[in-house]
Amino acid sequence: MNRSPDVVRRAERLADCLRRAREGEIAALDEVVRELNPLLWNVARAQGLDSAAAYDVVQTTWVELLRRLDEIRSPGSLTAWLVSATRREAWRAGRSGRRVVGGLEPTELADAAPGPDEGLVTGERDRALWGHFRRLSPRCQELLRIVAFVDRPDYTLVSEALGMPHGSIGPTRGRCLAKLRGLLLADPLWSAR
Amino acid sequence: MTDEFDAFDAFDAEIMTGLRGLHARVDPPPPGMAEQMLLAMAVAGLDAELASLREDRLAGSGARAAEHARTISFDAASLTVMVTLVELDDGRVRLDGWLAPAAPLRVELRLPGANRRSSLVTTADVAGRFVFAAVPRGLVWLVVHREGATIVTPTVSL
Repeated sequence: MNRSPDVVRRAERLADCLRRAREGEIAALDEVVRELNPLLWNVARAQGLDSAAAYDVVQTTWVELLRRLDEIRSPGSLTAWLVSATRREAWRAGRSGRRVVGGLEPTELADAAPGPDEGLVTGERDRALWGHFRRLSPRCQELLRIVAFVDRPDYTLVSEALGMPHGSIGPTRGRCLAKLRGLLLADPLWSAR
Repeated sequence: MTDEFDAFDAFDAEIMTGLRGLHARVDPPPPGMAEQMLLAMAVAGLDAELASLREDRLAGSGARAAEHARTISFDAASLTVMVTLVELDDGRVRLDGWLAPAAPLRVELRLPGANRRSSLVTTADVAGRFVFAAVPRGLVWLVVHREGATIVTPTVSL
C-alpha cells in the first residue's frame, strides 16, 4: 500500500507478463494469476457470492483473459480490466439467482453461511477496524475491500473500473475511506496508541 | 467533517493495509486455487480435453507404510492414463505412468515453479509406459499430446 520500489516493480513486471503473453508466451500469465488471484477472489466475494460461485466466477474471468488478451488497452490497465471482468461476471452469476450470500449488512453476516470467518479477527485494533468497516454502506465495503488488494499505482484505474471515477480513492482519500477514517479516529481502541 | 478530498496519507495506507490483512485472514481464496486457475486456463488455451479422475487410492500394506504407492487413473474419451506414485527417500516422488491404448505419445508433467510453471517432458514407449524419475512435491498435472487432440488431467497434489 505504498509507492515502494517493490510495488512499482510489481506493476511493471505484470505489465511485462501481459506483453509477453500477447506475443504468444502464454506461460507468462502464470505469474499474473499467482499475484492477482487473491484480488479477483475478493472482487467476487465482495459482490456477495458464496465460495463456490466466487470460484466459478474467477475461473471464468481467467479463461476470458486468455481469449481477450488483445483487447486490453495497455498492459498497465490489466488489473483494472480483471476487476471489471470479475465484477461483471459476478453480477451475471448473482442475477442468475444462485448462491448469493445475503447482502453485506453486518446483522445478516453472522447468519450467512458460508461467510467470512470472523472468529479469526483477533486483537483490539483489528476488531475495531473490522467492526467499523462492517458498519459502512455495502457499496463502501465493496469498494474498500477491493481497493485494499490493489497496489497504489493502480488505484485510479481500478476506481474507475468500479464506477467511481473522481478520486473515490487515488491521489485523494475518497468518501468511503474518509468515513472509515473518521470512525477509527473517534475510537479509543484504535487511535490511542 | 469532510476530509474526503485530502491527500491520501500514511494513516490511510495503514487502514488499507489493515483491511487487506483482515480479508486475507477472514476469507482467503481456497487453498491451491491459483494452481487450479492455471489448469483451467491451460485446458482452455490448448483447446484440450480435461480427463476425469476415475480412481485415486493408496496401495500397499500399512505395516510397510514407507513403501506404499498411490495409484491414480484418469479417463478421457479415448485414452486412459494411469499413474503410480512412490515417495523417494529425498522427499521427491517417482511417477510411473501408463497410457491405454498404448501409444508412444509425448507426455508433459506440469510443475509448480517459484513464479511460473515449468514442465518435464518425456515420450511413452510403444507399450505406453513413461516415467518421471524424481518429481518435486506440489500440485502437478499431466498433458498428453497426440495428433489432433491434447488431453489434460486434473491436478494431483504430490
